[in-house]
Amino acid sequence: MKQRLKAVGSRLLQLVVLLGTISTTLFLLLRLSGDPAILLAGEGASPETINAIRADYGFDKSLFEQYLIFIWDVVRLDFGRSLVNSQPALGFVLKYLPSTLHLTFLAILFNSLIAIPAGVWLGAKPTQRRRRVLSAIVSVAQGTPAYVIGLLLIQIFSVWFNWLPSIAGTGTWSWVLPTATLSFALAPNLIRVVAASIEDTTRQDYFRTAKANGAEPRVLLIRHSLPNALLSTTSLLGAQFAFLLSGALITEYIFAWPGLGLILVQSITNLDFPTIQATVFVVAYLVFFVNLIMDQVFRIADPRLRRSQL
Amino acid sequence: MKKPIVWPITRREIGGKGHSSPIMLKVSAFILGTLFIIALFQPFFYRVDPAALDLSLRLQSPSLSGAWLGTDALGQDVYSRVIAGFRWSLGIGTIGTLIGGLIGISLGVSAAWNRKRLRTFLSRVIDIGISFPYLIIAVTIVTVVGRGFWSLALTLGLVSWPTIARVVYAETLTLREREYVTAARLFGIGSLRSIFSHILPALRPTIQVVAAFTFAELLIAESGLSFLGLGAPLGTPTWGNMLNESRTYMASAPWMMFGPVIAIIVTIFAANLLGEGLNARERSRSGRVS
Repeated sequence: MKQRLKAVGSRLLQLVVLLGTISTTLFLLLRLSGDPAILLAGEGASPETINAIRADYGFDKSLFEQYLIFIWDVVRLDFGRSLVNSQPALGFVLKYLPSTLHLTFLAILFNSLIAIPAGVWLGAKPTQRRRRVLSAIVSVAQGTPAYVIGLLLIQIFSVWFNWLPSIAGTGTWSWVLPTATLSFALAPNLIRVVAASIEDTTRQDYFRTAKANGAEPRVLLIRHSLPNALLSTTSLLGAQFAFLLSGALITEYIFAWPGLGLILVQSITNLDFPTIQATVFVVAYLVFFVNLIMDQVFRIADPRLRRSQL
Repeated sequence: MKKPIVWPITRREIGGKGHSSPIMLKVSAFILGTLFIIALFQPFFYRVDPAALDLSLRLQSPSLSGAWLGTDALGQDVYSRVIAGFRWSLGIGTIGTLIGGLIGISLGVSAAWNRKRLRTFLSRVIDIGISFPYLIIAVTIVTVVGRGFWSLALTLGLVSWPTIARVVYAETLTLREREYVTAARLFGIGSLRSIFSHILPALRPTIQVVAAFTFAELLIAESGLSFLGLGAPLGTPTWGNMLNESRTYMASAPWMMFGPVIAIIVTIFAANLLGEGLNARERSRSGRVS
């Protein structure tokens, strides 16, 4: 229990350092990029408006004072109001969170459904000829960026065949293409890792012992290879989950999926700094919780880790 | 002539992936070499000036006599613009990888070499860097700093170091326990000299592999940013920009998309293949299974 608390504490420290670095960077970037009051007032604003904004936001104070105020606001989770629709930035961003989580879960689900069986099949006998074909396909597909996949899928299924909608928000069918895009983008990597871990277990001593004892191939695969292989796969899935929360940026943009990524792109285009900051913070928090949960999952799944440090 | 008995074992280890390393290396080196030559001597490969506008030629479909890959909404030649995109993408990829490599290697080696607080501190920094999705940071920095070749290259370099640092860190940790490094220390050879003459040369294969993968990743990140309209200045002939422009014309002019898509896929495939090839060669040399 004490160790578990220690692990959580170390993650928490990481989060604090990360958020501190990000907010300081954002603060400096915003102040370095010119007079923020002019930026906030927009083009063609009168000097009175600019002065009012300057006083309102406290830009007339010294840089250090501003920084302290800024940090205090961040600690209280007060990111200010969006410059576009003047809603509180954090609340505005949080409204889009469920939508991103929805897409993320779908993508992770289908990604695992495709990749884990494929990886197991590939890893069980990697030298068989037809499995080599799959492995060649996987290495070509690996690294194809999500936006290329997304655009090609839209071109084929929405434009040419007109089977599936390419814009989000038009019912369940509109989930298909974004989910497929993200799954196809993530699957090759997962297939490779699953295959490599399965292959790796076949070289372990316990596996050889079980084989020598006359265990059937099916039992060997399911009872001896799979649990250990999936353990190392889980860490990649966690990383992919964290990646999706922000990396779905481009996919959300392509399919106009109303999530964090789309909000981020829009607020960056509008130079809406409170919203940018709130989005980055929300993503950082989510990544933190995903990592925390993954730590615990490992502890539960792998008895060896319960005894070891951290 | 009979092969020595070790041969089948190593061949299965490498061949198990469906490739053998020399071919992978040769193919990827050939493709990448060609692409870099195109990037360096791009004016020789243009069909017409990539910036030339001719509205009378707008949205023409690909043809052997006219524009090979068609023309876009402004009548610009897609083929010539794809060629022009090579310099931008490969340039940013190369510079970004160099910067990220420099930071990553310095941090990784110093974290592994130092046994005291510095190691704890640096490995925490690396952990944090790895855990956070860097694209978000890159997007934000580029927005504020401004778009352009150098700002993109520097930003991507500045955010790409954590992976490199982690790999270098892990490898240095094992290297510093080797006998020859210990022997050198016992002979009174200083840290810096030992790092430069014992650690860094031994790290080279690892660095090559991770650099090839970083290069591919930066290419994806760069064209992704441009695709979102947050990277290259609008109108610059880059693959991401071209893809972004093509979205409006998917029904009427799908060829606007195909040129840059092919260029992106081929380049990234070649870079990944280079990484795989280097990795396979390294594994077959050391006989180690990873």
